[in-house]
Amino acid sequence: MGGFEDDEPPSKRARASSVESASLPDCFSFSKSANPLGSTMARPLPSQGKEVMVGSKGVIKKDEFVRIITKTLYSLGYERSGAVLEEESGITLHSPTVNLFREQVIDGNWDNAVVTLNKIGLLDENIVKSAAFLILEQKFFELLRDDNVMGAMKTLRSEITPLGVNRKRVHELSSCMISCSPQQLFNGFSKLGIDSSTSRLKLLEELQKVLPPTVMVPEKRLESLVEQALTVQRDACYFHNSVDGLSLYIDHHCGKDQIPSRTLQVLCAHRDEVWFIQFSNNGKYLASASNDKSAIIWEVDEDGELLPKHTLNGHEKSVMMVAWSPDDCQLLTCGVEETIRRWDVESGKCLHVYEKPGIGFISCAWFPDGKQILSGLTDQHFCIWDLDGKEVDCWKGQRSTKMTTDFTVGKDGKLIVSMNREKTILLFDRETKQERLIEEDTTITSFSLSEDGDFLLVNLFNEAIHLWNIRNGPIRVNRYSGHKRSRFVIRSCFGGSEQAFIASGSEDSQVYIWHRATGDLIETLAGHSGTVNCVSWNPVNPHMLASASDDHTIRIWGAKKASLKRKDVGSSSCSSNGIHSNGNAHGNGFIHQCNGNSTK
Amino acid sequence: MVLSYLMHNCFKETAEAFLSSTGLKLPVDYSVNVDKRKAIFNFVLEGNALKAIELTEELAPNLLENDMDLHFDLLSLHFIELVRSRKFTEALEFGQKKLTSFGKVPKYVEKLEDFMALLAYEEPEKSPMFHLLSPEYRQNVADSLNRAVLGHANLPAYSSLERVVQQATVVRQYLQQEVGKDSYPPFSLKAFLSK
Repeated sequence: MGGFEDDEPPSKRARASSVESASLPDCFSFSKSANPLGSTMARPLPSQGKEVMVGSKGVIKKDEFVRIITKTLYSLGYERSGAVLEEESGITLHSPTVNLFREQVIDGNWDNAVVTLNKIGLLDENIVKSAAFLILEQKFFELLRDDNVMGAMKTLRSEITPLGVNRKRVHELSSCMISCSPQQLFNGFSKLGIDSSTSRLKLLEELQKVLPPTVMVPEKRLESLVEQALTVQRDACYFHNSVDGLSLYIDHHCGKDQIPSRTLQVLCAHRDEVWFIQFSNNGKYLASASNDKSAIIWEVDEDGELLPKHTLNGHEKSVMMVAWSPDDCQLLTCGVEETIRRWDVESGKCLHVYEKPGIGFISCAWFPDGKQILSGLTDQHFCIWDLDGKEVDCWKGQRSTKMTTDFTVGKDGKLIVSMNREKTILLFDRETKQERLIEEDTTITSFSLSEDGDFLLVNLFNEAIHLWNIRNGPIRVNRYSGHKRSRFVIRSCFGGSEQAFIASGSEDSQVYIWHRATGDLIETLAGHSGTVNCVSWNPVNPHMLASASDDHTIRIWGAKKASLKRKDVGSSSCSSNGIHSNGNAHGNGFIHQCNGNSTK
Repeated sequence: MVLSYLMHNCFKETAEAFLSSTGLKLPVDYSVNVDKRKAIFNFVLEGNALKAIELTEELAPNLLENDMDLHFDLLSLHFIELVRSRKFTEALEFGQKKLTSFGKVPKYVEKLEDFMALLAYEEPEKSPMFHLLSPEYRQNVADSLNRAVLGHANLPAYSSLERVVQQATVVRQYLQQEVGKDSYPPFSLKAFLSK
């Protein structure tokens, strides 16, 4: 019967194949048409000892290709199709010995399974021993589970230990014999599953990993190969910025149209320069802070349009930054050298005002558990507060510059990143008390942390932006430039699908977007009529980018193909680039809202 | 000092001979229970842990209850003896009955694993835990038990002779560290005796 000889050493076949692939025509594929006489005739004889190749490049071995397809059919549950393929192709998935072995394992016929194992003809004795160990270990646990402790001990002493492998595991098994709590048994079975049929299937999987792939085709091999191809395509996609999955039908390739580049909306509610914006963690809201002493919470509706939800009034000085709570239900706002206020997002009410008599705050951040906040003060101290306003901790930092007020807390709550001196950033681990420094050559103006907490984006005085890997190192891994900065603090951010892009504001009124991995400048977005102070990329919608400017507006940018059902009309004080409303019934009411009413 | 050493280690006959040759009077404390202690000590050396436990309970009640480490060591000694006499099934049963409760306390778990591992080998002497079967191990357990019993009777745990040797060693060590490697070699009883 035609088929794969599994006791033939692989090297022999590989040598033969290099001779074969040159001479076989490309059309020698495995379709039915290769045998013009139809399937009722005798199956085509296998090319004995010679390798048949398929595919346009002639690098795919036909036997292997058919076998992994057969394996996939079986694992998808298509038993009949798998069997038919084996018959029709003449290429069996497993040799008869291996099939017998698999049957014996499933039936729990352990002693015979070990005998058959030795008949498979494996060359490496260690592999035989490892496989035998796995089988006997299963036998041991099943005996224990059936309360046959003596039988288990006999197996351990006379069959498992003499194999001379995995001594540590042997000792563990020995302990299992007396500490036979159900919990321990479960742990012993944890890899194998608690009931015998699933645990035996898991055993087969483990055996598959131990035995050479030519003997038993690895589980999910075809899926793995396809995933590798998709990963290569994804990595090669320069402008990749979508959340959709990749299709198998065509090679994946994103165009530049995936990057936000058109103004979709201009938000004109602030009456003065907008200094800071940030999307909420769930991408449903945007918060903005302005020189007009207010902050605004905007809501992103299903069409991707932003509408003002609440205007937060109360600060007596300009609001310089905002911070979303980890659950996005609360917002912190910080006035310049003033107080920190905590607001409820849903109602817009101020829940608490944090103040320290005589000293003003200059920055604020949440701890990941949402129960404490970190604040920076003008006298260079840091304070941790709990939500009710009780001061939990306070220590003096080393900040000697008033220019940068940034600090940020890592996702796990352990890392605090703060300005140390003009040119250094301190990475402080609260748990290990370890301190690391990022040292720059020029003054640092702002920084932001990546989503995964492994990278820090640092804006510098000299118009460069540096990307640092802070998980290992810290090491500087990339540099972005092109934007303009001379007088003000400009902020940049990570964004896009898998944070593959970097965006920054600029004093030339444009938004700059770079490709993170290569450092190439991909887009400069014009539209604002004043310095762009801050940018924020929607963490959930990779096509939505927001920018805040001295021209009192916030712009929402989207991908070229995106369009909103309604476009807003700003008041006369903001430039709208000639976008006109399409006569929607809400038009008038919308203008009022745009001018800063506190509720919708 | 010599006398205390002899009594500490239950060398009763030697002590009596010593006493008669030097004319010293026997201090009252030491003769207390020296016979019983000697019996306990010897049972442990033989590996008869159960008998040793029985006598200890008589001589120093509650000692083992309060000293879990010691109790564990003695019980495991019995286990080891069963293994040594190739009574594996009995050993397993004993282990299941008596030793499982110790398995819940983390500090005993590692030791327990070592003891249990003996069961996996047809020839435990050839296993990596062969040292558990050795007379030196039993000597160690016997010494700990002896010290505990003495302590229970408010007698010093180490004989004064032993104390002196310990002190000499430590002093030599400090001198070595302070002054330098070559001036004061570490104290070795063997070297001292061979001089």
